[in-house]
Amino acid sequence: MGFSVSGSAALIFVAAFIGFGMFYTATANSFEQINDARDAQADTTLEQQNTDITVRDVTYNTAPSPDDYVNVTVENVGSTELSVADVDVLIDNEYRTGYRSAVEDDTSTELWLPQETLELNVTVSESTTPTRLKVVTGPGVSVTEVI
Amino acid sequence: MASVSASHLILFIASMMIAASVAGVFTNSIGQLSGALSEQGLDVSSDVRTDVEIISDSGSDAIYDNNGNGNITLLIKNTGTETLAVDPGVMDILVNGQFATTYEVSRVEGSGSWRQGEVVRVEIDPPQDSLNGDVRVQVTINGDEEVLEFRA
Repeated sequence: MGFSVSGSAALIFVAAFIGFGMFYTATANSFEQINDARDAQADTTLEQQNTDITVRDVTYNTAPSPDDYVNVTVENVGSTELSVADVDVLIDNEYRTGYRSAVEDDTSTELWLPQETLELNVTVSESTTPTRLKVVTGPGVSVTEVI
Repeated sequence: MASVSASHLILFIASMMIAASVAGVFTNSIGQLSGALSEQGLDVSSDVRTDVEIISDSGSDAIYDNNGNGNITLLIKNTGTETLAVDPGVMDILVNGQFATTYEVSRVEGSGSWRQGEVVRVEIDPPQDSLNGDVRVQVTINGDEEVLEFRA
C-alpha cells in the first residue's frame, strides 16, 4: 500500500509542477506584454501633452506663377521634437501631398524642433479659393486656421 | 502469500493509473488555460497600443458630399504604437447611431500597412438615405472609440 500512495503522490506532484511552470510562463509573458504596451501608451500620451503648435502666418497667393499656392508658417511652441514627414496638411478637408516644406529655411531636415518654424508651400487649384487650413502633427495635435 | 502480493500489485497499478489520468487532465486543463491567457494578453496589449485620431476638419463643409455620391469622407491618423491593417474589418463605424456596413479604407499616400503617423481615408456610404443637420460618426478600432461631429 505504501508504494501506491507515494507513487501516485509523486505523479501528481510532477504534474502540478509542470502545470505551474506552464501557467507561470503564460502569466508572466502576458503581464510583461501588457506592461510594455501601457508604458508605450504613457510615453505617447506624454508626448501628445507636450506637443503644441501655432500658426504664425497663412497667405494665399494668386501670383503669376503657374499655380496658385498657400504659404503657411507654423511654429513648434511645445517641447517635443516633431517629424516633418509625419505632418499632415488639409486644405478644405482635402488631404494634400507633394507640398514643399522647410524648417528654418532648411529643406533637407526631417526634424522640427521646439521653437522652430516650419514653412509649408502647398499648391492649390486655381478654380477654387481655399478657405480652411488644418495642420496635424505626428502625435495628433492639430491647428486650424481660416485662410 | 502470493495472493497478497498479487492484490497489492493490482492495487498499485490501479492507483498509478488513476493518478496518471488525474495528472493528465490537470496538465491538459492548465495547458489550455495558459494558451487562452497568452492570447488574451496579446489582445489586451494590442488594445492598449491602439490609438487613432480623426483628423478631418469638422469645420469645413467638405466631409459630407451633399451634392455628389452622399458619402462621408474621414481621414484617420494612427497615433498609437500598434501597426494596423488597411482593411474595413479592423473598424466598426456608426453614423448617427446606425451601423454602417458599406465603407472603403485606403491609404492617402503610399501602400502597405497602416503604421504610426500614417493616415487612411475612409469613404462611408451612410446607412441613412440622406443626412441633415448635426451628424455624429463614431469609429471604433481595437476598442479605441473616436467621435467626429459635423454639420451635413
